[in-house]
Amino acid sequence: MSRPTRTDDASAGLTAANSGMNRRRFLAGTAALAAGGMLMGRPLPAAAQEAPAKGAAARAASSYKLDLGGYAGPELTSQPITLKFMRQEFPPHVNAVLEEAYKEFSAAYPNITIQEEKVPYGDLQKKMQIYVGSGAAPDVMMGRTDFIEAYHAGNIALPLQDYFLDEFLHDILDNQFKAASAKGNFYGAPWETYFTMMYFNRDIFKKAGVPTPPEVTDVNAGWTAEEFIAALDELTQKLRAQGDSTTWALSAATHGNGGPGANYTQVESLWVRSQGDPNADKGSSAYKTFLGVSEDGLQATGYLDTPEAVKGMANYQQLFTKKLAPPTAVPNQFVSGVGAIHFTGLNQASRLFQQKPAFEWGASPFPRGRIAFNCNSSDCPIVWSKTPYPAEAAALVAYLCNDANRIRFYKTWGSMPVRKSLIAAIPEFGNQQLFQLSAAAAASGQGAPRSVGWFDYFNAINPVVRDIALGGDPESQLKQAATRIDGLLRKYR
Amino acid sequence: MPTAIRTSRKRNGRMARLAEVLPGPAMILPAVVALGIFQFLPLVVAVVNSFRSFNPFNQSPTGWVGLANYDEIFSDPGFQLAFVNTIAYIVIMLAATIPLALFLAVLLDQRLPGSTFARGAIVAALAASEAVSALIWNQLYDPRGGMFNAILAAVGLPEQPFLIGDTQSLLSIAAMSVWKDVGLPMLIFLAGLQAIPRELYEAAALDGAGPWRTFRNVTLPLLRPSLVVALFMMTITATRIFTPILILTQGGPNGATSNLAYYSYRLNFEFMAPGAASASVVCMLLVIVVITIAQTWLARGPKGV
Repeated sequence: MSRPTRTDDASAGLTAANSGMNRRRFLAGTAALAAGGMLMGRPLPAAAQEAPAKGAAARAASSYKLDLGGYAGPELTSQPITLKFMRQEFPPHVNAVLEEAYKEFSAAYPNITIQEEKVPYGDLQKKMQIYVGSGAAPDVMMGRTDFIEAYHAGNIALPLQDYFLDEFLHDILDNQFKAASAKGNFYGAPWETYFTMMYFNRDIFKKAGVPTPPEVTDVNAGWTAEEFIAALDELTQKLRAQGDSTTWALSAATHGNGGPGANYTQVESLWVRSQGDPNADKGSSAYKTFLGVSEDGLQATGYLDTPEAVKGMANYQQLFTKKLAPPTAVPNQFVSGVGAIHFTGLNQASRLFQQKPAFEWGASPFPRGRIAFNCNSSDCPIVWSKTPYPAEAAALVAYLCNDANRIRFYKTWGSMPVRKSLIAAIPEFGNQQLFQLSAAAAASGQGAPRSVGWFDYFNAINPVVRDIALGGDPESQLKQAATRIDGLLRKYR
Repeated sequence: MPTAIRTSRKRNGRMARLAEVLPGPAMILPAVVALGIFQFLPLVVAVVNSFRSFNPFNQSPTGWVGLANYDEIFSDPGFQLAFVNTIAYIVIMLAATIPLALFLAVLLDQRLPGSTFARGAIVAALAASEAVSALIWNQLYDPRGGMFNAILAAVGLPEQPFLIGDTQSLLSIAAMSVWKDVGLPMLIFLAGLQAIPRELYEAAALDGAGPWRTFRNVTLPLLRPSLVVALFMMTITATRIFTPILILTQGGPNGATSNLAYYSYRLNFEFMAPGAASASVVCMLLVIVVITIAQTWLARGPKGV
């Protein structure tokens, strides 16, 4: 997909930087050019058409009372208003970072009150659905890039490209930008991302006398799925032979409700889609396996139940049939030192740093199949399409995504940034293997299968994955799941 | 008598009648309104919605589809399984809870040592949050390190996949629900037992009736109204089991623990299908209505009471 709003101004940016032009003037200039090109180049939905031209807005940029980051919309209202923001609950120290940011925003714009609603992470999409149905949704809601197609098709989110500088949009990792866009519109500012990596407890491997996974920075240089299973099998057998019956080779997933089927997007789909190939012939099952759903996003049969997908799920099933991983949710196994390997994102690893576990640990890429695959599901604040304050809501999103706020957030929460300049600005991403690997995974990540009904797909496939883990036949289960998903997606036709 | 006086007396009479008739309805009006809004209106809305189609994004109705939603769920194997499981939950819950509650109530009514503690413990389970209880039982059922498997291992029995086995999982959910909910019918029975005049037991003892005969011929017949209430309450409770399913098994494995409540929830909140979810809810209501009518008929007294 081509980027809807970003002009190819990278070289222009370089020239500008060299000529000593100040940032605001440069941004205003590129924004004006971009706005012109954008308005000529593609149709905009009604809400976007009502938005002011970005060039005019950018001219007003210097009048913003605060660093609104990539915001390029009009100056904010002087009328007293309340912006409602629904987001996930974070631990108190992370909430404090956001609350501090609101204070700064309200100090600059005392007429704008920010009212938060924090909900458990797993309930965000359901809550959004209920709010949208009620016709009184919060102005800003924390969405996810997986659901961008639905936000577009359901007219849930406001297209944001006209409210953001092209420099900001260009700065977002390409695969993240693509995931946050649909049908030529940019709907949500990716907030942070989670690329699944393999963390291992060095002490357990040492105790069993099994070589640790390769500690590399290249996502293609890790174990293959087969090597991974063989290593875990050997590890388990040696541990049991030593009388250790409590340590698991692979700790239970901690996404969602935990255990198998916890989060297809970020965990189990990696086993399946890594058996596909984006460079294969478009009619081939390898290509379809990689896609996960038909090009129109409305058919899973032939995509989810291919021989390659069955192979991926059969590999996954071995983790449980060979008793390499517990078949149910078990919290904190890895942190407690009774799990040799754990699949998680960078933020959990950062928490490991903070907790200083009583063991040595390292990181390796997620096992690869035919390709090295990682899914780039990201949280992204979206602006409700019917908000009475589109500019202010977009400005709030942009403000929270400005450099200072994002770096403060990443450093506190430990997650993976989604903008190239921020990755470059954090030294660890240049000199520490874990961070370099995470950056490599982020750069090569792929989006969730593009379907307007991804929410249905996701909810239908998770229990099937669990049933396969518990011994169900991968082929028949995937075929049934594909048929079921086809039925669920029919309503979007 | 002058017309004016007659009219005045008539008016006074009407006012008096109104003053006599109005307070009753006025006093129950708030309850009727509340019931209407919070109980019956949602029911009517569910029935109406079961014949409509909806926009999957904002859930606004888009038209009338007749029985299409019912067709859709009846042809779904997931619904068929959820329906059978709902009946299974009701049967298991009633078969386990009612005798157990009656036994506990009779025991507690004896005022044996420790009765107060036992009563408190049973009521505490009833009062505990369903989600917290489910989380505790999740640990008890843990395949490795859970208390139940530790007990089995201690007596040399094999480990059981309580929550992940096709056959055990529904029973495991039901067992947790029995533990959680036995307090309610027990309290109903206890109240019923304490309302039975002691003279009847004295008379039975004078007639030489033993404990079992006294229970069968005195206690049980006089507990019939309590039994009907307890059956009714437990049928509804068993039909509505939801939280343990959501927390312990998410309806799995292979839909083995899903029931109509959980199935309806998934349709509405995970699959954006409020029409089909409403049809499923209507089916669930019909199950409750049919079973409670049957129970009332079966548990009726000799005079049909």
